[in-house]
Amino acid sequence: MSTTATSLDEIRVLLRAQPHSLQDWLKRWRTQRLVWCVTIIIIGAGIYGAVMGAWRDALQGLYTGIKLPLVILLTTLGNTLLNGMLAPLLGLNRTFRQSLLMVLMTFAIAAVMLGALSPVAAFVVWNTPPLTAATRLASTEYGLLQLTLVVFIAYAGVTGNLCLVPLLRQWSGSASVARNVLLAWLAVNLLLGSQICWVLRPFIWDPARPVEFLGPEYLRGSFYETVFEAARRLLI
Amino acid sequence: MNDNNPPPIPPAYNPPGPPGSPNTPRALGDDPQDTVSITGPLSAIEAILRHPRRIIYQLRQPGAGHIVFALLLIAVAFSLVYGVVVGTFSLGAQLWAAPVKIAAGLVISALLCLPSLYIFSCLSGSQARLAEVVGLIAGLLALMTVLLIGFAPVAWVFSQSTESLAAMGALHLVFWIIATYFGVRFLATGFAHLSGKPGGLRVWVVIFLLVMAQMTTTLRPLVGTSEAFLQTEKKFFVKHWIEQLEKPNATLPTQR
Repeated sequence: MSTTATSLDEIRVLLRAQPHSLQDWLKRWRTQRLVWCVTIIIIGAGIYGAVMGAWRDALQGLYTGIKLPLVILLTTLGNTLLNGMLAPLLGLNRTFRQSLLMVLMTFAIAAVMLGALSPVAAFVVWNTPPLTAATRLASTEYGLLQLTLVVFIAYAGVTGNLCLVPLLRQWSGSASVARNVLLAWLAVNLLLGSQICWVLRPFIWDPARPVEFLGPEYLRGSFYETVFEAARRLLI
Repeated sequence: MNDNNPPPIPPAYNPPGPPGSPNTPRALGDDPQDTVSITGPLSAIEAILRHPRRIIYQLRQPGAGHIVFALLLIAVAFSLVYGVVVGTFSLGAQLWAAPVKIAAGLVISALLCLPSLYIFSCLSGSQARLAEVVGLIAGLLALMTVLLIGFAPVAWVFSQSTESLAAMGALHLVFWIIATYFGVRFLATGFAHLSGKPGGLRVWVVIFLLVMAQMTTTLRPLVGTSEAFLQTEKKFFVKHWIEQLEKPNATLPTQR
């Protein structure tokens, strides 16, 4: 009971994102804190992922519930070195551990928000006409569902990052340094995160494939090539 | 009027930068951290990322040779590691060819541009010795390659999923540009403390970028595969890059 209360208190501290509280977290490195952030990400993003995939099938829900937290954790892991290097180069002289924990905290805030938005997302999924043989990728119902779920993710992600701006500003003593560090972290996380999403797709549905965790053809191509090709087709 | 008076020392160039960044206009040695000695490659990596002024200060002290050596060692070792990541796209012989070419390309580019940087620094009124200029270039290469190592996991993820040569080439190019930006910023900070004017450095940076860009074509292929280690056909890098982009669906052969 007391552990649950402590965890809820910590979530409250995290969401309020008051610089003095978070600074205290970051100054005193504790592995427990790292594990706590990872757990929050697994639970929050996991629930939201399960809701996303549930539109197609319960098994797809399970897979997406695993894949969504995996995207976040793999992105954090893959960019640990880079984020830790970019911070001091842009004027925020912090250790690798502190940079890692800060990035994890932004994702943890986003995951808490996603977890909180899960009932709304579930309601949207529930109200979306079910998948039939006539459903296509271009179908309106699928488009609306996809758009709603992606908007929730984008909103949670942006809010998670913005929460840390006051802390970054206080630590660096400069608004421009805080902005540059945040933009650099956002850019590299977006670059790697979108590619990991691409590799781990589908999150909702792929009409050409049965329900599977990771299809063999998903490892081919990249998110940016597809966007580039689509833009080229539109323009040329 | 006395013509024998020494010429006035030109004011130090302080490139714009955020407060607390390495570009803050303070004399070297004012900050106690500047004087902390650099004991080896690991200490040099930490210093170049967190406190570049420490490297610049130490380069001006007697016996700075070991720091230059450490920086060069970092540059070569890390460019070899990044080269292996580049090679994982094509696998096979590229696993050793790409690291060798990238490390050699960086060192040769620096050697080709070293005389011009020294001359430009002298022309802009700097009192720097050649050893200090060598140290600054070594620092530039070290910082570039340290950052490339940071990008290596991202590059690896893309190299395992895409088969497009143009996309991988463009991605490595973007990483190289970002790494070079920070490397050049370090060089500018060092140059400022050598009492140089920025004009000469800006020209040199353009030359250095052009040499490195041409090196990617001279040592081609870095990303794709080829029967020969080096291509004999001479080509300007812009033409080579455009040709790569224009190739319809330029992908690897079927070995992947």
